[in-house]
Amino acid sequence: MKEDILNTLRQQDAALRDAIRLSEQELPQMPADLNARVMGKGLTPNPSPMGELNGHPVVRRLWTWVAAAASLLLLVGVGLTMMPEKQVPQGSPVVAEKVEKEPQQVNNGDCPHDTSEAMDQRDCPRESQPRQISAQPKKLKPKTVMAEQMIAQAENLSQADHGDSSPDPSHRETYQENRPHDPETLTDSDIPITRPENYHYTPEEIALMKRQAAEAYLKWVELELEIAKYNQEQTAQK
Amino acid sequence: MTETETNLIEGLRKQSPQAQQEMLDRYGRDVFAQVVRIVSQTENAEEVYQDVFVKVFSHIGQFDGDRSSLRTWVMRIAYNEAISFLRRKSAPTVYFDDYDRGIETLTDAEVDETLGHASQETVQLIRTALQHLPPEERALVTMFYYEEMSLKEIAYVTESIPTTVASRLCRTRKKLCRIIKMLQA
Repeated sequence: MKEDILNTLRQQDAALRDAIRLSEQELPQMPADLNARVMGKGLTPNPSPMGELNGHPVVRRLWTWVAAAASLLLLVGVGLTMMPEKQVPQGSPVVAEKVEKEPQQVNNGDCPHDTSEAMDQRDCPRESQPRQISAQPKKLKPKTVMAEQMIAQAENLSQADHGDSSPDPSHRETYQENRPHDPETLTDSDIPITRPENYHYTPEEIALMKRQAAEAYLKWVELELEIAKYNQEQTAQK
Repeated sequence: MTETETNLIEGLRKQSPQAQQEMLDRYGRDVFAQVVRIVSQTENAEEVYQDVFVKVFSHIGQFDGDRSSLRTWVMRIAYNEAISFLRRKSAPTVYFDDYDRGIETLTDAEVDETLGHASQETVQLIRTALQHLPPEERALVTMFYYEEMSLKEIAYVTESIPTTVASRLCRTRKKLCRIIKMLQA
């Protein structure tokens, strides 16, 4: 309804139509080469998802990201290089304790071969020899043999002295309880090796360890003998 | 929709350069006229013109032939781009506004007589009065009187409804008449 009225008015407003027509004619005309420029500038959207509209190459945008990533990597690398190295305290208590355990096992050396059938073979320090640390000298193996020989001698002595009496089984049980059931295996990373000479024991250190092991074993044998004597006296009193 | 237009749209959807060139050749002048009518300066009009066809080529998939013809759809993009450009780049311009509600005092007969009297003096007065209209209203009367678009098409282009377009047209006629009266006075 209203459109009909307006269409009628459109026909009636001759002056307005003429004015608009003249104004349109005076408007700037479209440049002849505008379409050619539009097509030449590559306004056609690129069909690829990474495409650009305004003629910017895709490579330019990719290079921006690649440059940013490279800069970031460089910064991280420089930061890691400049960071001070973490100082591992030499001879820390934990590691020292671990290191001390190994000679103790060697010194005692009395892996209970009589009960080895019931025990896992891994409990025996001698069996775990290949898993020992590389810093442990291989020369400790003869010491183990020596300790076994001393054990045998001590047993012979006690048997000779007391006939049927043997070292108190309760003492051996006590030892087995105190002995670490699962010997900890040290690796190279567990030991803070800061000096090259620490890679191997010096001959003096080996000799010292041998002497200390022999002394410790002799003390143990003496203690065993005292216990045996005490038991014998008790039995005699009864 | 004609078969030629259908083929053209298919070609645009396939991003065929030939179809795009044909699109520019067919609707380029109308688009440029619509744009330069609103933004005035040729340099700005060229910039908006390029933006219009970037949108046309990239959004051709959204064209719905049932709602409008291809030309109307392109003109809608051109109108919106030009108006957006004006709001974004152009310095704010003051146009005539009927603060004293003077147009309400004008009768329809008075308006019909002023705009229907095709004398040279009146035409010049109307041309001067057109320059005092805001670009949106100038585009509105141009689409209706010069391009002879229907109210529905103008409503589609201006993202409005036909009744609103009709009301705005009536109001613009009265405003032109008011400006002419003021110029004559």
